[in-house]
Amino acid sequence: MPGKPLAISSRNYLFRRFTDNRSALFGLCILVMLVLCAVFADFIAPNDPNPTPPDLAIKLKPGFWSEEGVEGMPLGTDALGRCVLSRIIYGTRVSLSAGLVAVGIAMILGICFGTLAGFFGGAVDSVIMRFVDIMFAFPALLLAIVIVAVIGQGLDKAMVAIGIVYTPQMARIIRSSVLYIKEMEYIEVQQAIGSSRLRVIFRHVIPNSIAPVIVYGTLMLATAILDCAALGFLGLGAQPPTPEWGAMLAKSYSYIVSGAWWAATFPGLAILFSVLGLNLLGDGLRDILDPRLKQ
Amino acid sequence: MRKHLVSLVVFSLALFMLLPAAVVFASSTKEEAPKKPAPVEKAPEPEKPKPKPEQIFVFGSSGDAVRLDPADVTDGESIQRMDNIFEGLVEYKSGSTEIKPCLATSWEMSNNGTEIVFNLRRGVKFHDGTDFNADAVVFSFARQYDPNHPFNQYGEWAYWGYMFYDVDHMEKIDDYTVKLVLKRPNASIMTSLAMFTTCIVSPSNAQKWGEDAFSHPAGTGPFKFVEWVKDDHITLAANDNYWRERPRLDKVIFRVIPDPSARLLALEVGEVHGIEYPNPADFDRIRSNSDLNLMSEPGMNIGYMAMNTGFGYKDKNKNGKRDSDEKLEKTPGYYEPLTKQKVRQAIQYAIDKKSIVDNLYMGTASVAKNGMPPFMIGYNNAVQDYTYDPDMAKKLLKEAGYPKGFEVTLHVMPVSRPYMFDPPAVGEAIQSYLGAVGIKVNFYQVDWGTYLQETESGMHQMCMLGWTGDNGDPDNFMNVLYGPNSASIGSAGNYAFYSDLEAQKYLDAALLTYDVEERAKNYKKVQEMLHDFAGWVYIAHANQSLVFNKKVKGYVLHPTSRKFFYPVYVE
Repeated sequence: MPGKPLAISSRNYLFRRFTDNRSALFGLCILVMLVLCAVFADFIAPNDPNPTPPDLAIKLKPGFWSEEGVEGMPLGTDALGRCVLSRIIYGTRVSLSAGLVAVGIAMILGICFGTLAGFFGGAVDSVIMRFVDIMFAFPALLLAIVIVAVIGQGLDKAMVAIGIVYTPQMARIIRSSVLYIKEMEYIEVQQAIGSSRLRVIFRHVIPNSIAPVIVYGTLMLATAILDCAALGFLGLGAQPPTPEWGAMLAKSYSYIVSGAWWAATFPGLAILFSVLGLNLLGDGLRDILDPRLKQ
Repeated sequence: MRKHLVSLVVFSLALFMLLPAAVVFASSTKEEAPKKPAPVEKAPEPEKPKPKPEQIFVFGSSGDAVRLDPADVTDGESIQRMDNIFEGLVEYKSGSTEIKPCLATSWEMSNNGTEIVFNLRRGVKFHDGTDFNADAVVFSFARQYDPNHPFNQYGEWAYWGYMFYDVDHMEKIDDYTVKLVLKRPNASIMTSLAMFTTCIVSPSNAQKWGEDAFSHPAGTGPFKFVEWVKDDHITLAANDNYWRERPRLDKVIFRVIPDPSARLLALEVGEVHGIEYPNPADFDRIRSNSDLNLMSEPGMNIGYMAMNTGFGYKDKNKNGKRDSDEKLEKTPGYYEPLTKQKVRQAIQYAIDKKSIVDNLYMGTASVAKNGMPPFMIGYNNAVQDYTYDPDMAKKLLKEAGYPKGFEVTLHVMPVSRPYMFDPPAVGEAIQSYLGAVGIKVNFYQVDWGTYLQETESGMHQMCMLGWTGDNGDPDNFMNVLYGPNSASIGSAGNYAFYSDLEAQKYLDAALLTYDVEERAKNYKKVQEMLHDFAGWVYIAHANQSLVFNKKVKGYVLHPTSRKFFYPVYVE
């Protein structure tokens, strides 16, 4: 386009890169939907996810696709006669908040340890990084199970456990970017004009090394939701009657053989799509934010 | 609490470190599996060549055995293996809890019913070749009750404490005669002797293996032990020297398949010939399959929810009785609201048991109103059950001083039991029903071992449990589950901690007499008292169900859910 200046403002440029990336857009749409479901669950859900007293007589009824279905239960009912759709919608709230809290814990701890290790180096770095290496030696889920076994079961505990398990990854990422930032000239300038170390860390080092954390955090949110569901599936996460996707799956999969596939399938799909969406979004963000990938 | 957490962590870590070893082990057993049984197959062949193919029967169990010593097992999985390897002095008639001679050919009771003389069967040999005689009988009994016996240290002998505390000793009269001496008359002793606990084990085999005898069983039964691959299978082979006719099956294999759907699928494709604990939701699918045979009958069991009423006693001298110096004290799970009868009755009114039985047991059970099955002696049919009446429940809560309800913790069983197929589902239903009258129920789940330990110590506020009868005698329900003597903190069987000593008087009287009418009267009285006390929400008597391939013939369900495969054959 002749006549137009070539230089586009950086914000517009990023926005266009984002809208050009279809999978990232798709991911964002899913995330927006999840957030809306979580926030407005009370208005969207057609039924009470935990009716008291329960209506056991309508247990394991199919949804809209069958004539045997019950009015007002579009995705059928579970083994206790509860609306599967309503429970999935309320489950969004549980899974999203669990994922966010877990990633939040991992970020805070990761930033603390990563910055300490990267900025101070030497013995501090060695100790923290060797500890991180040890943590990496354990499979994530197994480590989470061990932590839950120590601090007790429940959704809140599961969030903490997953947060702790994800901390080493965060710490490593932060450390590497701190190592890079630390050598920049503006940091040297700050030190030369006599800024305190704390000021340097909080005003300059951390804000400048946060970009990869955002990308990685989005990807981590997906795995956190998945791990939370896994703990719920094992009975170590959310406790009944909390409508948690993994727990819903665990309670219903034994009925697949007897024909009631919907009670387990839909929570499974909910996990699938939310994880898929967040992964796509995370990948998209990385493509956009990584300067080396600019065309 | 802390202790078990620490052990859990240690266990998890150990498990993690053992993983590579387990993989290696698993792959090596896979290779060996086809080779190992070969010598066993070959052994009988030179004697009597069989034109017919081997009769192999594979049974899909829901779990692995814990130990293979009949006197030292309490769980159904171990017991079903034991019942095909070992025999006792007497045994149950097929499909009933009446007794008939087995290793004893006859017996005589004397001295007011406190001495029983048994004449033993001659010419019987144990699987290891040892002769069966009076020494073996005395050995099998004495190692359980005599703390100075050299083999006493190798077991816990839990059932001896539950059922045989009235036995004083067993003595040898001559090689084929023994005398059982009781401390006092015990009306249930003969039926109890048909239990696995008093099965006769080979003394020379026990000597050979010492503390490992539990994994190398040798009895006199129709099948002998071949191999045990942990958490995979246990193989038994026909005992060619069996004193009755040789079993028609050449081999019985117990395969462990914990998931009910996987068990059913294995049966459908012919990997196994029979399975236990089918999922009630699959019954329609099973019935519509012409290759399968669903066997079902009312089970001798009770599934209930118990409320900890707050006070038990510590059985310091371990005599199974509350002595006068053993005072009542608060249980660790003491919770004020549950100590009030009106609150407990409110909870009874708040739960719709019929709906639970119809929908969660899916009609494979009957609603329970008493703590023992209706077909037993002394069942009190006159008791009027609490109906489902949430308004009444709210009213009672108000009268008890809890108009706004309260919060309470429910121990929920982590495993499927014969008396409750899906405990978490039943627990969630109860949570929901109680929620409707304002009682907030918190779920509490731990592994099964810890669960039993915690409930036996009275650490629960409310818990779900149940019982499958061992010997068909009402004492096995009434005294073990509801007797004040069983309200002992640490080894409780009475999980509501019902401690009315008057009830114990009736229970003792029922055991001291051999007059059936008199016994029934006593048990009926106690059931009335228990109903008013309202410490247990009796939920259901579940049917026992097994599914076999149609080709499998000859199996007879036993009321105690024990599994005897001797008469079975495959067409």
